[in-house]
Amino acid sequence: MGVTILHQFPVENRTGPAVIELLTKRIAALGAVQHGQFLVDCETYSSVPQLGHQRTVHVLHNSEQPATVFSLLETGTKTIPLATDGLFDLLMMKMSSFYTSKKQTKAESKGPRFEIGDFCVKLGTVTVSSNFKGILVEVEYRPCIVPQMCWELMKEFLQGFLGSSVLSNPPVYFQNKMNDVYTPIDTIHQYLEHFTIFRKSPAGIRT
Amino acid sequence: MERDIEQLNSALNSVKVLRSNVRRIFDSVSNGLRADHGDDGKENKFITELQEILTTVNTNLRDVEGSVANLTTPGGPFSLGNTTYLSQETTLERQALYGQLVNSYKWTDKIREYSALAGNILAANSFNKSYKTFSTTKRRKTQTSNHNVSPEVIENIITNVDRLFPDITLTTSRPFVANPLIQASLGRVLRGHIAFKGLMIEWVVVKAHGESTDIWTESRYKVFRKVTENCHAAMCHFHSPMMPELAVRSFMHWFHSYQNLFSVPCKRCGNHLHNNLPPTWRDLRTLEPYHEECK
Repeated sequence: MGVTILHQFPVENRTGPAVIELLTKRIAALGAVQHGQFLVDCETYSSVPQLGHQRTVHVLHNSEQPATVFSLLETGTKTIPLATDGLFDLLMMKMSSFYTSKKQTKAESKGPRFEIGDFCVKLGTVTVSSNFKGILVEVEYRPCIVPQMCWELMKEFLQGFLGSSVLSNPPVYFQNKMNDVYTPIDTIHQYLEHFTIFRKSPAGIRT
Repeated sequence: MERDIEQLNSALNSVKVLRSNVRRIFDSVSNGLRADHGDDGKENKFITELQEILTTVNTNLRDVEGSVANLTTPGGPFSLGNTTYLSQETTLERQALYGQLVNSYKWTDKIREYSALAGNILAANSFNKSYKTFSTTKRRKTQTSNHNVSPEVIENIITNVDRLFPDITLTTSRPFVANPLIQASLGRVLRGHIAFKGLMIEWVVVKAHGESTDIWTESRYKVFRKVTENCHAAMCHFHSPMMPELAVRSFMHWFHSYQNLFSVPCKRCGNHLHNNLPPTWRDLRTLEPYHEECK
């Protein structure tokens, strides 16, 4: 598991498939080879009022870690991450009387997955309850586990095929974690942040 | 020894001459009177000829006796060691073995002689490509062997190296008593598995932190496979049979420069990536980072 950076690619009046096709062409021209598809999904549950102070649980799955269910519990003051095995989904079903899911908020990012050298690139089409919302590009540099060490290198790679839309500073999420060892839950955090923004944005395209 | 052989040669020669002259007597006796003796007094001529040859044979015989008297008798029977038993070999195809044995013995002798010569010449002209300078004080510490040293010596060197580089963590295991296998974790960047043969670095594999500690499989990441390749080059470069300790230390010093593998751009092209790889080469002297293609 290496450092992963999630980047939102501006759509600018184009359709989702057109952007994916454009990016696929670019990455293929660099010598990338497609290795299957990927899917990251997120479902959000809220506690029922009888439980008192309202809490939210986000349950996410990542096809890169197929046997794991990630969940993030938001208590209002802090966020508690949890990585469990597949049975957690069934547990959530059992708890449906305490935590109810908001049906309209199921978010997904899916699309082709490429490998190029030691990089792994995923071009994801984001949908929230099956409405197209935007494009998320995930780039993972697998040999390196500390963001501080490889940020410059990843920036160069990102700018190489995404152009000037890449910021020169690391994403906000990394600000206090640049020297920590990167773990899969960090990827999940990034996805959730983006999904939350996508959900809040009005129907259609987020700028 | 040299004189013995000379005398033996001259004795053999005189025997040869004697034999050929004796043969001439028998020749002329068996031919009897020939046409070239003419008609008048041919018997007399024949007898004179025979007498002449007999005189020569006499002198030859004296020569032989003289040279044989000069020879020194070897003391006792020759000891051939275990090769004597080869003469008792009955199978046909193995009877030639003794000849081959002697031949190979001659070859080994030659090899010894030539390698001694080559050793002398090479010692006089140093072909070492590295930048090391040999000072006389260091040369005095020369060890004759660097793959058969006591475990304590190796242990000392490893401890020294460990102390020298605070950001390299060394873990030692000894599957074979004298030959340690060390795992050098370089910060959070990579982990090198280094196998020693005595004081000599024999094998290096570089892998990511999470990968298996097996030294025979390659890393699954291209960048570490490349670094492994370069480590092999450096291992050969720094290898020095005269000063094995220095070789280990310089190699570790060079290896230590990989701590910024992902974070520094190439010294030549200024970019981080080339062929989707960071600068995987470190200059052997200046330790500056270069891409494989830029160095």
